[in-house]
Amino acid sequence: MTVAAEPHPWRVPPRWVLLVAVLSIVCAELGGASMARFKVELTRWARDAMLARPAVHGLVGVRDVDERILDEALVKFDAGLRLFHMHAEGMGLVIIATTMVAATVARAGVARRVIIALLTTGGAGYPVGYLVWSALIPAYGLERAKTIAEWLVWIPFGSATIVALWWLTGLLVLRMIGR
Amino acid sequence: MTRVMLALLATLLAAPAAAHHVGAYVPKDNAVTINFKQVKFSVQARKFDVALRLFETGALRAEMRAHAATLPAGLEDGTRAALAASDGPEVERRLMIFFAALARDLALEADRRLAEAGGTAESRAATGRKFLEAIWRYYNLVDFAVATRDNKTSVAVRLAFDEAETYVKPATGAAAPADPARLRPPLQRIAQVLSTLIEASTTHARRDS
Repeated sequence: MTVAAEPHPWRVPPRWVLLVAVLSIVCAELGGASMARFKVELTRWARDAMLARPAVHGLVGVRDVDERILDEALVKFDAGLRLFHMHAEGMGLVIIATTMVAATVARAGVARRVIIALLTTGGAGYPVGYLVWSALIPAYGLERAKTIAEWLVWIPFGSATIVALWWLTGLLVLRMIGR
Repeated sequence: MTRVMLALLATLLAAPAAAHHVGAYVPKDNAVTINFKQVKFSVQARKFDVALRLFETGALRAEMRAHAATLPAGLEDGTRAALAASDGPEVERRLMIFFAALARDLALEADRRLAEAGGTAESRAATGRKFLEAIWRYYNLVDFAVATRDNKTSVAVRLAFDEAETYVKPATGAAAPADPARLRPPLQRIAQVLSTLIEASTTHARRDS
């Protein structure tokens, strides 16, 4: 029996990349479990922190007005934790898949290393933005916390992933044309 | 295999389009509005015993007691008596008075806050916007009941509310920036129109009893 040789067998990405991806998934699971286990404590902490900073959240001291503001902030606080859980889980898998493609396709050593580094750091860092956003809401309010998380985490790490993915796509297209 | 890789990357590149998704907030009912809806639907289903139980154990009655100083005398007892007597229209009228009073008190409080000096135009507009949301949350529950009894009042409140909203909208594009100073007259009009409604409805009830 003869087996047709694979023209381009898949290559496994470096071990540290796999470790980062697995750690990202582990953090997602821990985050999800903690979110469920400490839901009441987290909500209480966030509520107390918000009540301690009425000016930041625009609280006016009238219950009928403030309850809506607090409710929205708490819903977003919870959403940030959930989105961290989901993104960290998903990006762990994305890191494994994309770095495997990069390890297989990118022949040039420097390009391969840079693409893999960008995909790994970007993929692992991006979900942390949701955790940062969530943690900052009680102290800085919804919009300011979002702005900080965007500039500190989402934009740099998200951009790293996007740049690496386009770079990789370009390499693949070149390879297809070159055939 | 290259094609498979390209397809995989194309799928992944579509993801950043939804980047920075931070969820959407849908405002929820509070304990008072939930209890109001429970009582209202029980009355509409002519289950007055259920409505009475929900009223006696719910947030609506507690809120009536908390606001007793600014409400017409005997509103809580009258509501309970109307429920016990299976008098649907009377229950609706009394709840209408209650929510109109809540909305009026919020309009008065908003006007008082806006009269105070200090704060930027944006922060004052934001405060005004939040008060308007709270006023509408309560008034909206009884607008139909108000309109069926006194259409002019309903129209006057809604017009004043629409006007107030235009002064607190955040500036977008060519739209004028928020002007919280102009918010006070429509708020005062809301408070005045609702006060007249409460007074008229209470007097009408006294005459009927």
